[in-house]
Amino acid sequence: MHRTVPSLPLAPSVKVKLINAGFQVASDLIDMRPLQLCKEAGISQEEAVEVLQMLRDDAQPHQQRAATESLTALDLLHQEQTLGSIVTFCSGLDDALGGGVPVGKTTEICGAPGVGKTQLCMQLAVDVQIPVCFGGLGGKALYVDTEGSFLVQRVADMAEAAVQHCTLLAEDTEQKQALEELTVEKILSNLFLVRCHDYVELLAEVYLLPDFLSEHPEVRLIVIDSIAFPFRHDFEDLSQRTRLLNGLAQQLIQLATQHSVAVVLTNQMTTRISNGQSKLVPALGESWGHAATQRLILHWEGLRRLASLYKSPSQMEATIQYQITVQGFRDAPDEPRHTDSSAVSSPSGNYSKRPRLENLS
Amino acid sequence: MEWEQLELNPRIIAAVKKANFRSAKEILRVSGADVQRLTRLSKTDVQHLHSAVAAAVRKSSPVTALQLIQGECPVLEPGHRLSFACPILDGLMRGGLPLRGITELAGESAAGKTQFCLQLCLSVQYPRENGGLNSGAVYICTEDSFPIKRLRQLITQQSRLRPDLPPALIRSRHFTDSIYIEHAADLEALQACVSQRVPVLLKRGLVRLVVVDSVAALFRSEFQADEAIQRSRHLLAFSSTLHRLSHAYGAPVVCVNQVTDVVDGPNPGRCDYGLVGSKVLPALGIAWANQVMVRLMLTRLAGQVKSDSRSSALRKLEVVFAPHLPRASCLCGVWEEGVRGISDNDSELQPQSSS
Repeated sequence: MHRTVPSLPLAPSVKVKLINAGFQVASDLIDMRPLQLCKEAGISQEEAVEVLQMLRDDAQPHQQRAATESLTALDLLHQEQTLGSIVTFCSGLDDALGGGVPVGKTTEICGAPGVGKTQLCMQLAVDVQIPVCFGGLGGKALYVDTEGSFLVQRVADMAEAAVQHCTLLAEDTEQKQALEELTVEKILSNLFLVRCHDYVELLAEVYLLPDFLSEHPEVRLIVIDSIAFPFRHDFEDLSQRTRLLNGLAQQLIQLATQHSVAVVLTNQMTTRISNGQSKLVPALGESWGHAATQRLILHWEGLRRLASLYKSPSQMEATIQYQITVQGFRDAPDEPRHTDSSAVSSPSGNYSKRPRLENLS
Repeated sequence: MEWEQLELNPRIIAAVKKANFRSAKEILRVSGADVQRLTRLSKTDVQHLHSAVAAAVRKSSPVTALQLIQGECPVLEPGHRLSFACPILDGLMRGGLPLRGITELAGESAAGKTQFCLQLCLSVQYPRENGGLNSGAVYICTEDSFPIKRLRQLITQQSRLRPDLPPALIRSRHFTDSIYIEHAADLEALQACVSQRVPVLLKRGLVRLVVVDSVAALFRSEFQADEAIQRSRHLLAFSSTLHRLSHAYGAPVVCVNQVTDVVDGPNPGRCDYGLVGSKVLPALGIAWANQVMVRLMLTRLAGQVKSDSRSSALRKLEVVFAPHLPRASCLCGVWEEGVRGISDNDSELQPQSSS
């Protein structure tokens, strides 16, 4: 056992005392008796007993965590490809995002009120459930609603439209079989809703997410709509807000990678005045801009609704047009590629059958 | 806070008490690193602490959308709306006003906004099966005094507006007893009214509709043009109180808003909500718009509409945004008995085309 003392899960003050007493590696400690350790390191007897107990538990071979496991970039590429992404049913946006909203990353959707953020989130919550044979993930979704704008009637409409869309696409027997199980009731039963009324409840919910995800391992999407609303009032101390938001962002990224879920956050817009000109910018401050992996800004241009991908590690910046129909979030009508939302998609469309990887584990 | 109730190692509880944390919420309000520093616990201990504290704070566990739509969680999804007392207007709104959240009604003066509000104050008093909430309304006036004469006129004409209801039902309602009128002359009075008097009425079940007529008046008059930040802060405090009350008691909140003129064409610093070609936009900017769940705009059009040889100026009620409604509008008129929507195939329409 070559674990160094600083890497042990102990309180920082205890670690400092152990290091000052000369213990560098876990194996230095393992043979000591509690009283001995107590005297040499100057820690209390209780703390000494705990340190040794922890080391003994750690020494079990099956509990040894691979603290320094390394992966090659090729392994990482395979991992990322198998994670997949969630289609939005707007092919322009799916292409701009490289297939859809990526699993394992956090995506932020900013926009003015009424532009379609909640609509896109509801659409994703439905689309994540599209069966694998149709090119979807066949997963469940958790919707954390802080504004109270989740109205289930609308989600039912979108679910109905999604089922109809898949019905039109079904070609082979596997798809037809999956279609029999794909009903509006099933889609609604796989969508979990939690309502948080203030930021404390939201923080509590995020702390409980790891347990929730362990109980429901099929969840592939977590939506927080919106993260701005509870954090924009009741805060006299903005630095406290920044610390809380940073902690939240870290927790969400950890959840996304460890549990293979896509995390989608919505944010509001606010006015910023610079050089006498006013601009609409995402809310929650400058440092929040670094929180999400990808940032999508929805905005109006006259009568058109546009989505701009502003920040992405893998995709280039792009702006595409979309519209909100009765069926949900869709391509804008004058897109040359797809004439109507009810048309069967082209072979390279994102919601048709995906080529399956042979070594899918 | 009874820390012993949480399932935690006594050592963790001792550290928490020593760090002077008095409630679960206090621990959540502080960032993870700060908790570790203040309690001197290890990272895993703080994780256990957070899980226990979060479970204590959480009010209810996740439900599925299927349970919502089947009516199993009336707190989250009541399954009905507050009717406008007109089938055409209700059709535009897919049933009526949502019971939770702020609905804004914006428009120029004399568009008919107060008429809508008065009509809702009467509609809320009917039983649930007739589109109401079986309760009263609180009407907060910030501009003019309450139009009591018009209210009395509407009451006498209720049977004309609601031919679907049995006259005995209408006669049995004591409408004026259940409408509580508040006047707020300045922001302080408005905030006091909304945080002290309105909650009492809601808690006692005396009202289940809150009308603020209008939001814009006080916020626009009390702040100069360069005090935008203070105005935003007051607006947020006000709207968060309303939001909290609406969700706690399942009471729709209707806020009347004024409009501002659009003088300089499209401006990247201002959101137009896709209202291209409109000469006016709802007032109070994006800070207020972010708090509103359903935004309706009422515009007065050129033209008249006739009904039984009476005529009324034509109006258009438009849904600017709502989570469950498409962009749509319908025409309506204001008569003695109230506001009524006009269906498209109405032959009594005499509009003169406006822009």
